[in-house]
Amino acid sequence: MLVLGPLVLLLSLFAILKAADQGKQELKVLIADPGQIMGHRLMAQEEKNVHYYFLDDYLEIKEFDKAKAYQEFDVLVELNEKVLNNKKCFVFYRDQFSPDIRIQLKFQVEKRMEELIAAQHSSLTEAAFRQIKQGFIFDFRDIKDPKNEAKEANAWAGFVIGSFILFFVGLYGMTIFRATVREKSNRIVEVLLASIRPEQLMLSKIVGIGMVALLQLLGWALILTLGLLFLQQTVFLDIFDPSNWGQATPQRLNPLSSLVFEQLNLSFLFIHFLLFFIASFLFYGALFAVLGARSGADADGQQFLLPLIFLVAFGIFAGIYAVYYPNTTLSAVLSYLPFSSPVLAFITLAKGASIVDYTTILLSLLVLLACALILLKLAGRWYKQSILKF
Amino acid sequence: MIKVAQISKSYQRKLVLDNISLEVPKGQIFGLLGPNGAGKTTLIRMLNQMLSPDAGQIYFEDQLLNEKHLQQIGYLPEERGLYKTMEVRAHLLFLAQLRGLSKQEASRHVDHWLVHFEIQDWKNKRIAALSKGMAQKVQFIAALVHQPKLLILDEPLSGFDPLNVELIMNEIKALKEKGTTIILSTHNMKSVDEICDHAALLHQGQLLALDSVIKLRQAHAKGRIFVRFKGNMLSFANALWTDFTLLEQKESTEGVFECILQLRGTSTVNDLMRSLQAQVAVEHLELLLPSMQEIFIDLITQKDKQHD
Repeated sequence: MLVLGPLVLLLSLFAILKAADQGKQELKVLIADPGQIMGHRLMAQEEKNVHYYFLDDYLEIKEFDKAKAYQEFDVLVELNEKVLNNKKCFVFYRDQFSPDIRIQLKFQVEKRMEELIAAQHSSLTEAAFRQIKQGFIFDFRDIKDPKNEAKEANAWAGFVIGSFILFFVGLYGMTIFRATVREKSNRIVEVLLASIRPEQLMLSKIVGIGMVALLQLLGWALILTLGLLFLQQTVFLDIFDPSNWGQATPQRLNPLSSLVFEQLNLSFLFIHFLLFFIASFLFYGALFAVLGARSGADADGQQFLLPLIFLVAFGIFAGIYAVYYPNTTLSAVLSYLPFSSPVLAFITLAKGASIVDYTTILLSLLVLLACALILLKLAGRWYKQSILKF
Repeated sequence: MIKVAQISKSYQRKLVLDNISLEVPKGQIFGLLGPNGAGKTTLIRMLNQMLSPDAGQIYFEDQLLNEKHLQQIGYLPEERGLYKTMEVRAHLLFLAQLRGLSKQEASRHVDHWLVHFEIQDWKNKRIAALSKGMAQKVQFIAALVHQPKLLILDEPLSGFDPLNVELIMNEIKALKEKGTTIILSTHNMKSVDEICDHAALLHQGQLLALDSVIKLRQAHAKGRIFVRFKGNMLSFANALWTDFTLLEQKESTEGVFECILQLRGTSTVNDLMRSLQAQVAVEHLELLLPSMQEIFIDLITQKDKQHD
């Protein structure tokens, strides 16, 4: 494990970094600059794989999206006349591109802007200006969703809920692991196996601990529901309800409270939470039980846990990736992978899934359930082979 | 009660049990003997259906051994464990119910055994608070609480002080009296001599000996005879002539001697009696049988020599 642990970590990191680098590697950027602020110029070192073109006029998003003349361009950077003052520009893309190119693009535009601001509005040198400057805001948006209706905040909320599933599964999976190791190390397992089959012992442990986990989850849900209802009635009043007129408080305008009380269908999410939790728990529970059965002692077993913890972490990283790149092929694959599907399903559910999306979610749930059942069957065999080896 | 027919089992190409066949008669105590690594635990685990044989069958009361029979088998493994945080009575109830007893039955049986072993005052104590001997008693109760027809005891005496060894030995005898069949795997050969009716000796996965204990001892008798007589030692020695060897001698009381002789050649006990009749007054004469310990050592040593 001394060698295997870091190797698995290294491979996971490589996979994550590689995945994050996904997207177009070479692209044409059209800069709509009606005020000709940039003067058709960029910084001296232009990158080889990003090509910039200038348009000295306004360009409608729809026109950029549909017109034949603009199809060759991958990205539209919109610079209005006020850009030097408000320091915000919009970047519309057809397909996701890599973070590396994002950085390049930001660098090129930002540095040119700084040059201009320093030259036109200040007596400072360019270097001195950079020391006191305020950063530019680049708002990257999908050309198909220019108003950013894909609800990134909802996606993050879904990510948090999905990660909770993995968190609970990891937490109670450890309980399965420890219970199995303890039974094996104090040898009571031999007495138990004289009464029931190893597969039954494993399954009863997973189901028993799963029930405890569910009970705790339901407790949490009940307390949270009561708490949210209380907050809704006291702090975050509904300003559209005439009975509350005159008492509405600014908190109602808080985007987070709006997200929690208005945009997320909490009861709908909770039902899916339970379904995905049960399927994930069966899936991971079998793995934790097998690892427990293979371990001789508690301390000895910790090293076997590392790969499993990496898998749980992988699911969470996959979720982060899917929030940023929801429409890539990798995200589609990750949504079916049992290790990551719970998180990705909740990202989609929280954003408000279409019929097609919901079908994908149900399918991913079925895949997860099927994998859990297959794994339970295999794990039963592995468990049986390992549990009596002292 | 139990019939093992041509059982074989391998672990990673190592043959642990090699074509073993034996029968355990109903209502008897069957000693399963052998040095460490002989295959006893593997065979016991097969009887408990924890392991399946690669070849051969096991029958329980003439039926192929199956899951239903587990409730009629009690098992005390050599490496014993209990849930340390559970209370004694709750733990026994749990194990009894696992063996198929209803809650009421389990409760009745557990209370009976707690009183029987005089540990009723400890019933609400946690297992962790018990002494080793006390915990051993709890484990022993756990093995027989469901009144099994077959009780498998793997080293039941280890860890007990002499008083408790006596207690457990008496309990095993009492269970036999009630009709329970017992398989006793032990290295304590004295207990085998004392309580076992039948015995099987395993070595390196092979069956070296299988019979009733008395027949095994008779079969391995080495022609040694104990004689107590009244008379003259010189006359006694002359009477032995060349057919018998005098191994040991001592004068127990004045004019009364106790000797151990070894038969030689084709001479028999009758020959000895005839030779002595005219010389000394024989008070007691007995063919000495080897202990199971001696048989065990002899057979294993012979087998190892053959192997070398």
